Amino acid sequence: MFESLVISYVQDLWIALTDPRKRVFWGYLLISLLIAICWIKWVSPDRGVRVKTHLFNRKVWWSASARADYAIFLLNRLAFLFIAPVLLTQLVVAQWLFESLYQWIGHRPILGESWSDMQVMICFTLFYFLLDDFFRFYLHKLLHEVPWLWAFHKVHHSARTLTPITVFRAHPVEGVLFSLRTALVQGIAMGVFVFFFGGRVDLVTVLGASIFAFMFNVTGSNLRHSHIALRYGKALEKWLISPAQHQIHHSTNPIHFDKNYGVVLALWDRLFGSLVISQPGQDIEFGLRREVTYREQNLLYIYMQPFIESFNIFLSKVRKREKSIAKN
Amino acid sequence: MKLKILVSCVAVATALNVNAAQNYADFPVTVKDYKGDADHSVSYTGQSARHVLLTSLKKLAGKGEGKDDQALQAKLLAYYAGKDAGREVISPVSKGGFVVAQSQVDEISTKKNLAGKTYKGAVAGWPGSMTGAEVLNFMVVKAASADKGFDPLTGYDYAQLIHKFAMGAVFYNQVVDNYLDEKLDADNKPNNKPYKEGQPYTGKEHVWDEAFGYFGAPANTLNLTAEQVYNIAKQKESAFTLADLNNDGEVSLYNEMAYAHAYYAAATDKGGKTNYLHTIMQAFVDGRQLISDANGEALTDKQRTELKAYAETIADNWEKVIAEAVFKYAGSTYKDLQKLDKLIQSNGDVNKAFRQYAKHWSELKGFALALQTGKDNLGETAVKLNRLIGFSPVLLGNTQVLGIDAEGNYVQSSSISMKEYMLHMLNVQKLMVDEFGVEARSNDVMADLGGLAEKLGSGASVEND
Ligand SMILES: [Zn+2]
Repeated sequence: MFESLVISYVQDLWIALTDPRKRVFWGYLLISLLIAICWIKWVSPDRGVRVKTHLFNRKVWWSASARADYAIFLLNRLAFLFIAPVLLTQLVVAQWLFESLYQWIGHRPILGESWSDMQVMICFTLFYFLLDDFFRFYLHKLLHEVPWLWAFHKVHHSARTLTPITVFRAHPVEGVLFSLRTALVQGIAMGVFVFFFGGRVDLVTVLGASIFAFMFNVTGSNLRHSHIALRYGKALEKWLISPAQHQIHHSTNPIHFDKNYGVVLALWDRLFGSLVISQPGQDIEFGLRREVTYREQNLLYIYMQPFIESFNIFLSKVRKREKSIAKN
Repeated sequence: MKLKILVSCVAVATALNVNAAQNYADFPVTVKDYKGDADHSVSYTGQSARHVLLTSLKKLAGKGEGKDDQALQAKLLAYYAGKDAGREVISPVSKGGFVVAQSQVDEISTKKNLAGKTYKGAVAGWPGSMTGAEVLNFMVVKAASADKGFDPLTGYDYAQLIHKFAMGAVFYNQVVDNYLDEKLDADNKPNNKPYKEGQPYTGKEHVWDEAFGYFGAPANTLNLTAEQVYNIAKQKESAFTLADLNNDGEVSLYNEMAYAHAYYAAATDKGGKTNYLHTIMQAFVDGRQLISDANGEALTDKQRTELKAYAETIADNWEKVIAEAVFKYAGSTYKDLQKLDKLIQSNGDVNKAFRQYAKHWSELKGFALALQTGKDNLGETAVKLNRLIGFSPVLLGNTQVLGIDAEGNYVQSSSISMKEYMLHMLNVQKLMVDEFGVEARSNDVMADLGGLAEKLGSGASVEND
């Protein structure tokens, strides 16, 4: 029992680094590094800095915040060995949707019979990408705007230094929400497409990853969580979220709060009025607020505080309701 | 991935280390004071004879010429209900290098029929409120005047209906509702007495053997893969030496052939997702060993409890084999309906596609009826299943058989559309998953979802964006 647990844990960590479907696949990390080097050497305004000390700075990679990231990464992975099996899967959602569509429509119209298989695949891949990117944006927005959700999402924003591993800095409750979101998105995309297009539905992939995810990752997705303020320029940043724009999302400056929720597309932020374009030479402090608070990188605090806070939010709501009932 | 390779390496290593697995054969004579010269106690000839009667009956049911044929009807009834000597084996017969030992049913066992052992309960899924035995008789009579077993007016394929239903109504029912049920009781066919005076096997030994015989697996199944057992049933020449256990140059229809649900278990398992054949076979062998080890003494309560656990394994997995077949043929029927719909829209020739639809539907119906001949009443599940499938396939004019009139003729009425009927097929598959937990799921209407889900990968990870 224990042995098999250790094996699956090590396997799980191994997969995180070697599966091109994962953000921190070694190839994507390497590409992000190359992009960062090019950026610092030739494009960035503070060209003067030494590349090596700027990229491999102990103050970044071994800060209290970064060490907390690593610990959270390892602990969450372990926790998810137990949590993952009981979570809703995309297959359950897809089957439910497939059956429901059948019940609602009463029959199964097969669409796109004159389309080539490739056309069906492209449609599915694009639909899945758009749906996924929107759901990621919207859940992120909720995590910021719903008080008890924010209590959990604060874990991510309490990072003082950003490294690619910060992507895993999240409370397990948030992890459950992300998993449900993915199950829902994949289930909807699969259920709808297989229902209408049958067995021809497939994903356009590169190295096993969806082509959109692949493109996102080979263009430096890992720099989003870093201090390399890679900008795309004003025109492109209206469409795609650059690493510098995501760093704005992590800013301690109140004018940057609740901005740039998006992952790949800037479109959603534009529609909901939360888009901020990056500025050349931006110098941003990361974290929840300027002042460093006692225990903010303490693991027990990180894992327990969200429960306490959300419980308090719940209590104050109950009290408010009691008061209003008493008044009436 | 690596773990999987490791596990299979270990599996291969253990497989190479151990000796050949046990055959269902050569269990010793344990009857006290046995005076005869038998050197073992295994016997299930009557069951093998009934397997051959059914495979022959199926073949004959496909011989009608679409007109009244009293001679054929008499012959069909001889295989279903007769007991007379002289019935030849019509199937399986020698095929190329696959030589079959017996050419007469009597060479396996004499005076056997199917009718006497057919389910006596009412069959709710077939029109006319008949018992299982009456339904089979009715189908057999109808088959005689059908066109190669096929009735274009109703969409029935009688050869398929008879074959698939009888596998349940005779073999499965006899085993789970009789041999592995009341006959395992302490005072029924006890182990400290011969089955009948002078016989080399005890009561319990023979009860267990008869149950095994009805499964239809070759005696050496544990030394064969599911694919090999499948090939034996298909009489592939490549499987001949595997089947010929005693190396006499012939495959005996008694204990070297694969039939009925053992064949369907093999066909299901060879897809690699399930292990029904070997699970059932192992339970039969282990149970038989337990009885043998009692050495002719009455079984203790503890031994009978253990034996009943084997019986339960057999019954549960057997039921799943039938449910998998229902699932599979609901899927083929679905695909046939899809094909028909396309042909109708393009004004194509539907005859061939309709014949295929009738065949698959009849297989579906046969297995669905068989599923309801087990020990327990399936209750609501049976009601749902029968309503979803109906008494006949939905025909081209959107009609379905509703009943049988006093003269034994089918009554049809307008029903749902073929497109709606497709949804019923999907729901049949869903019912098999929900109620029986089928895992092989051949012809899954939603099959494309599984592969796609794997491709998209699991979302269970804590990644912030
Ligand atoms: Zn955020």
